[in-house]
Amino acid sequence: MIIENIIILALIAAWCSADMTAFGQFMIYRPIFCAPLIGFLTGDINSGLWIGMIAEMVWINAVPLGVAVPIDISLVSILSTYWTNIYFPGVQEAAIWGLIFVIPFAYLYKEIDIAGRNFNIRIMHWVENGIHKNKEYRINTGIFLGLFLFVLRLFIFYFIAMKFIGIIYQIIYLQFPAFILSGFKKAWYLLPVLGFGAVLHNFRSIKIPFLELKK
Amino acid sequence: MTKAGFYSSTKMFFKSFFIQSLWNFERLQNVGFLFVMKPFLDKTYPDKNVRREALMRHTGFFNTHPYMANVIIAITANMEAKTAKNEASVQEVNLIKSSMAGPLAAIGDSFFWGTLRPLAAFIGVFLVILFSRVFNNADFDYGIIIPLSFLILYNTVHIPVRYWFMFAGFKLDKESIALLSKFEFKHLGEIVRYTVFAVVIASIILYFTVFGFGIVNGNGSLFRNPLPDAFIFAVVLVLSFILSRLSAAFMIYLIVLACIAMSYLGL
Repeated sequence: MIIENIIILALIAAWCSADMTAFGQFMIYRPIFCAPLIGFLTGDINSGLWIGMIAEMVWINAVPLGVAVPIDISLVSILSTYWTNIYFPGVQEAAIWGLIFVIPFAYLYKEIDIAGRNFNIRIMHWVENGIHKNKEYRINTGIFLGLFLFVLRLFIFYFIAMKFIGIIYQIIYLQFPAFILSGFKKAWYLLPVLGFGAVLHNFRSIKIPFLELKK
Repeated sequence: MTKAGFYSSTKMFFKSFFIQSLWNFERLQNVGFLFVMKPFLDKTYPDKNVRREALMRHTGFFNTHPYMANVIIAITANMEAKTAKNEASVQEVNLIKSSMAGPLAAIGDSFFWGTLRPLAAFIGVFLVILFSRVFNNADFDYGIIIPLSFLILYNTVHIPVRYWFMFAGFKLDKESIALLSKFEFKHLGEIVRYTVFAVVIASIILYFTVFGFGIVNGNGSLFRNPLPDAFIFAVVLVLSFILSRLSAAFMIYLIVLACIAMSYLGL
């Protein structure tokens, strides 16, 4: 893929991920939306739909509540869809490999994100000092700087992952023996079931009127 | 129309999408809150020095659900207008602001993120399973309809409600809280929750029907098992339900490793 396309895709991906906290909360960061979108843009929406479905269900409770910073599930679904469609389009085994390969990177990005939010404290104090000195424009500048840094760190991370880490993903995948690939094929159909289990767990205390089932 | 005027409140509504842009671990949404309030404070306190005091009192800790923040912003703005006319005290402004944040965050978290989002997402999941075999053979990526339907379904509720919160807060002032408490979020949440549960059950039944009886590849079972694949699916479903307290990432690795082990053993 040419560099211009990678830049555009990394920007779109960064904007989707920024939706979780920094802007809007329109839910474009949810895997059920962003994975198919990236799939559509890279030529095969079906892998994106399936990966999005799995990630959406497995991480159904991954929302930023209070000071908690969950792992970036949009990053998980976007990168696994991108790598699959660029290196092995339509190959279900490669999609599962993408999904398990990307998780450590999502945890790495979580740490970067936490560092970024700590840096925001400095900007916040800069804004506060500005108000003291009647420099009210710092409120707007602080907000847009915060948003810019959110998107920038996501963009840089996506760009590196799309341009360079994908090559490692591809090289490792090509070394797998047949039984591992067969295992990935099975996982393609079993991971959604894992998702259903995770979702049902959320309903464990639901009362069904005519059965009176309760935890 | 409101104490803020239509133009100011609309501007504040659009600015409210940025409330978390400078989210930080020390005071969370404080600068975002100021950013949204600023147009109103500019009008209310034309004198820069007086306005500085008003801005400074909103630099403290603030955190709530980003959608529900609009109600708090509007009521606080009304309080600021009263403070400017010496009809209310500064302490009252801070008290109102801090006392509303927690309860409204609880409503927003449970209704929007715990109920509405799963409903919209599960309708998408159901459609993915329903049309999975159709989309695989289609010439055009009709599947794009699914993420779009998720987005439209969610935001058809989200955006008008967020807009209404801002306007209700301005127009009804503290009565908007009474109105919100009368509006049975819990009851509505329960209804939507049952709907989500029904969609989840329908999705599971559909999934087991489509993929659980040897038609996975169109040429036979996924597992070399005298029983249908649905049996393995059912075992995984029960196990994943029981082990759901474990980390999601750990569960994914566990399932993939189990699948590799089964393949290695020729199952």
